[in-house]
Amino acid sequence: MAELTYIQAISDGLRLEMRRDPRVFVLGEDVGVYGGAFKVSLGFQEEFGPWRVIDTPLSETAIVGGATGAALMGMRPVAEMQFADFISCAWDHLVTVAAKQFFRGGTPIPIVVRLPSGGGFSGGPFHSQNPESSFAHIPGLKVVCPATPHDAKGLLASAIEDPNPVLFFEHKHLYRRIKGEVPEDRYTVPFGSANVHRPGDDATVVTWGAMVHTATEAAGELAKEGFEVEVLDLRTLIPWDKERVLEGVQRCSKVLVLHEDTRTGGFGAEIAATIAEEAFEQLDAPVMRIAAPDTPVPFSPPLEKAFIPQVEDVAKALRELAEY
Amino acid sequence: MAVREAEPVGSLQEVKEAGLDREDLLGIYRSMMITRGIEERGHILYKQGKIPGSFYTGRGNEGAAVGVGTAMGPSDVGTPLHRDMGVHVTRGVEPWRVFAQYMGREGGPTQGRDGNVHMAVAELGLHTMVSHLPAMLPVATGMALAFKIRGDRRVAVGWFGEGAAARGDAHEAMNFAGVRQLPVVFICDNNQWAYSTPTYLSYPVEHIADRAAAYGFEGVVVDGTDVLAVYREARRAIEKAREGGGPTLVECLTLRMEGHAVHDDAFYVPKEMFEQWAAYDPIERYRTWLRDHAGMTDDEEGEITATVKRLLNDALDRADESPLPNAATLEASVFASQEDLDTPHHK
Amino acid sequence: MSTGTQTEVVMPQMGVSVSEGTVTKWLRQVGDAIGRDEPLLEISTDKVDTEVPSPAEGVVTQILVQEGETVEVGTVLATIAPAGAEVAPAAPEPAEPMPAPDVEAEPVAAAAPPEPEPAPAAAAPAPQAAPVSPAAAGNGKTFVSPVVARIAAEHGIDPTAVPGTGTGGRVTKKDILTFIESGAAAAPPPAEAPPVEAPPVEAPPVEAAAPPTPAPEPAATAGPAAAPAPATPAPAPVAAPTPASPAPVAPAPAAEAELAPGEALEPMTAMRRGVMEHMRRSVDTAAHVTSAIEVDMARVVALRQKLKPELAAQKVNLTYLAFIARAAVDTLLDYPWVNGELRGQSIVTRPYINLGIAVALDDGKGLIVPVIRNAQDLNLTGTARAIQDLAERARTKKLLPDDVQGGTFTITNPGSFGTFHGTPIINQPQSAILGTYALVKRPWVIQDDLGSDVIAIRPVMNLTLTYDHRLVDGAYAGMCLRDIRDRLESWDEAAY
Repeated sequence: MAELTYIQAISDGLRLEMRRDPRVFVLGEDVGVYGGAFKVSLGFQEEFGPWRVIDTPLSETAIVGGATGAALMGMRPVAEMQFADFISCAWDHLVTVAAKQFFRGGTPIPIVVRLPSGGGFSGGPFHSQNPESSFAHIPGLKVVCPATPHDAKGLLASAIEDPNPVLFFEHKHLYRRIKGEVPEDRYTVPFGSANVHRPGDDATVVTWGAMVHTATEAAGELAKEGFEVEVLDLRTLIPWDKERVLEGVQRCSKVLVLHEDTRTGGFGAEIAATIAEEAFEQLDAPVMRIAAPDTPVPFSPPLEKAFIPQVEDVAKALRELAEY
Repeated sequence: MAVREAEPVGSLQEVKEAGLDREDLLGIYRSMMITRGIEERGHILYKQGKIPGSFYTGRGNEGAAVGVGTAMGPSDVGTPLHRDMGVHVTRGVEPWRVFAQYMGREGGPTQGRDGNVHMAVAELGLHTMVSHLPAMLPVATGMALAFKIRGDRRVAVGWFGEGAAARGDAHEAMNFAGVRQLPVVFICDNNQWAYSTPTYLSYPVEHIADRAAAYGFEGVVVDGTDVLAVYREARRAIEKAREGGGPTLVECLTLRMEGHAVHDDAFYVPKEMFEQWAAYDPIERYRTWLRDHAGMTDDEEGEITATVKRLLNDALDRADESPLPNAATLEASVFASQEDLDTPHHK
Repeated sequence: MSTGTQTEVVMPQMGVSVSEGTVTKWLRQVGDAIGRDEPLLEISTDKVDTEVPSPAEGVVTQILVQEGETVEVGTVLATIAPAGAEVAPAAPEPAEPMPAPDVEAEPVAAAAPPEPEPAPAAAAPAPQAAPVSPAAAGNGKTFVSPVVARIAAEHGIDPTAVPGTGTGGRVTKKDILTFIESGAAAAPPPAEAPPVEAPPVEAPPVEAAAPPTPAPEPAATAGPAAAPAPATPAPAPVAAPTPASPAPVAPAPAAEAELAPGEALEPMTAMRRGVMEHMRRSVDTAAHVTSAIEVDMARVVALRQKLKPELAAQKVNLTYLAFIARAAVDTLLDYPWVNGELRGQSIVTRPYINLGIAVALDDGKGLIVPVIRNAQDLNLTGTARAIQDLAERARTKKLLPDDVQGGTFTITNPGSFGTFHGTPIINQPQSAILGTYALVKRPWVIQDDLGSDVIAIRPVMNLTLTYDHRLVDGAYAGMCLRDIRDRLESWDEAAY
């Protein structure tokens, strides 16, 4: 066991995979000599050589499309987008080729695309997005959003193992802020399995990514008021742990769905609709939803603070739930 | 590197030097006949209402397709497009499966999940195209990347049309391939019409192959109706890539002899163009060459014709017996499982 | 597309967006021979004009669409039969692959059930029943959340009788669970309800866990209301053992009992606990007094004989209970306090009667008291039918939440095993409960034509009215019973 930051856990996990399986290789912009914009692959090129840690041109389609081609030939590429926001440049390829190839042709595409996502540090509209929901909507793609160092490492191993295209959203604001105990050996965390980040019976918060920590802090406040809130970390969106969410709704009868992505069409809508459909009779209050407003991510701190759900926002909603 | 315009193929001797013996030559003829036969019968099926959706052919491109397909090595891979039925045939796809694919039956390579020429048999090294063109070019580049990383002596072939060349995917794929000198050959099927768009509205330079220089490799223009010339150039490019010489862009010039799809009668193509290029029909040209230079006899020709006819009739019958897919299976294979990875073609 | 002998020629779809085509020229006529793949006709579409090759070899047997006609893609244009084969007329309808509409029943929560209605118990059906103002129970808000509605229905509780601590006095899940549990010492986990997926809003049907518990509604009090009669078994099933006596069972607390040798310990079911609670509370709340009256049922018996077949033809079983219910309901309109309720210091009366019929569940699983709303609007047939329906649904667990809420008066039958008298416990928060007993042939003094006393054998039934003396006095109750008796003894067939 070691205490690692979120980014160290990712780096560690990736390195273990590359040592374990020679088919695993990394490609992306500035990943080789520079070690990656966020230094996830620092030292990798020295260890694995320039043909396993490939500095590509500025070409998201070539990166992701190239990963697909290599995967078809038996490799296990891990492509890095410098910022999750740039995935839009390769959206066509992901949605058109990668997502549909197995369905049509029976040939799996075992690629992983690592996506530093999320905001909170004045990154502005193009360095702060959480573009998970548009991909969650495309059949054939898997969407993973770890919130802790432990999960980041384990989910990355699972992603690399998975025979399908996996979009791995690493919340970059957690990179160096969050630390946790991480086993030194290789281990996997399964997809579709939610984790109880904090237990409680009075209400359940369904969330993922950085919001897991925001929710936990808010829950701490409510606990002082005698209201125990469960924080359920979904960990993966496609697939998502519906059973566990519904169990929480049944037990608590009050639920808040929370995500940092914008509200309309955000993945929380899918969760809320499912709860309303399948757990209607368990509800003692309307399904609440907190998300960023429907705007691009703003740059200036007061604007960004109004955009990203804050601890106070979550606590306020929880109090409303408590009193309903 | 200026663009090189390829010479036509001359004698049988020259051909032998290129690695083809007489059997191979007759085989090429047979492949072209099968290709055209499949597509002609496909037309009929379509008009009989047996093929849903749309129907595309590569009439006029049989030479380019079969030429490249023949030049590929047994372990090479590629991503042919809708004008390249000849590639599928040459690599060994059974015609009945093509008909089944057209008709949306279970026996088709995509089991009814995709239609017309969006098909490929991965065991034969071919990977199925998508509608967004040239989306498969970055994929071909990626395949070559895998070969380079592993040191495989294999080559990837990526196809694109002169219209699709306008999209960024083409640039990104070729740029990456050129930078890394990857073992990939880019084949441009230039049939002069992108639906109703003529070449002068698709690109501003004389040849698509002119762009190869921008990516650091050679560009070649070849008469796409001359199957042997195509074979020769494709082979040269493929072997060069195999030996570590990097990519080549081979532009095969021909005319799309039918509409964009069966519902298009190509009224926008000047009649003279059709007349002119009809004289270069690749199958006719090759048949003449075979008779003149390889001594193909009436018997041999007749036998090939009869064999192909029988093959395709049987194929039609067999395809018709293939059932339509069961709707209950629809949601079954959106995601792959670990077992799906463990297939030889995938390595 | 083809039968054994014939092949159909259909209008092809020349392009993805094309939906129809026009026949421009037939290249063969009926009777002509044609080879496979030979051009048979020419067509024109939005996109292109083309020939259609024949799908078969043979003779053209029918041409169904003429030159110049435009038809939809898939329409049969002609038929071809092998030369020399019998010609069967082709079905004129298009061979179109009209997929039978997939009526895939969506497993969506059955839309039916009233669930979504926030209007809960208090909302009286038709009558203008004014939404009740917040009563002593402090329940001012009428909104009942889905989970509270479900729990209430499962336990046969009227949510409006539960003290609410939610916004605006709403009853929360916690409130109703506390309500149910109050009294049962331990029991921390409140009602364990159905598993994760909410059952499609169906009725919370009458489970074993159903009624009892402190709730005011379910007449845990009585037994099943069944026509006691010798003649037919009544709609309601077996009489439950019930607490006719005021003394509720064991004292509530005393969780762990010490055992003497030979004694066995049985855990209490939730339902038992509920019954225990309700009985205790009812007795502690109301000042129970019972009056009884004997009724000569001869007319009713005769009438029932006569009408039974008529109603049976309408699939309605006519029971004695139906007659009694009918008579009682009419009478109650004259005695509003018997149909009334005490709320705090106020007396609540209504112009309608929501009649509860106590039904015992099979296997002694307990009691439920489904309610016939607006019973005053039903005639004899309607009453009989309503009773039958409710009893059936109670037994098959198809009751809806509305079915067990809002009762204003209850009828129970402790007499189905032959008992001739009893003292039921009132179903809170009502003010009275009518008990019916065994119909027994007795020697009876009646007047003959001349006015002399004679002894006759008459079918006689005892009826009891147990009432809350805080609200209803003896005289009032006595008059009520007398009127019920009179109605039954002078039943006018024409009137009902």
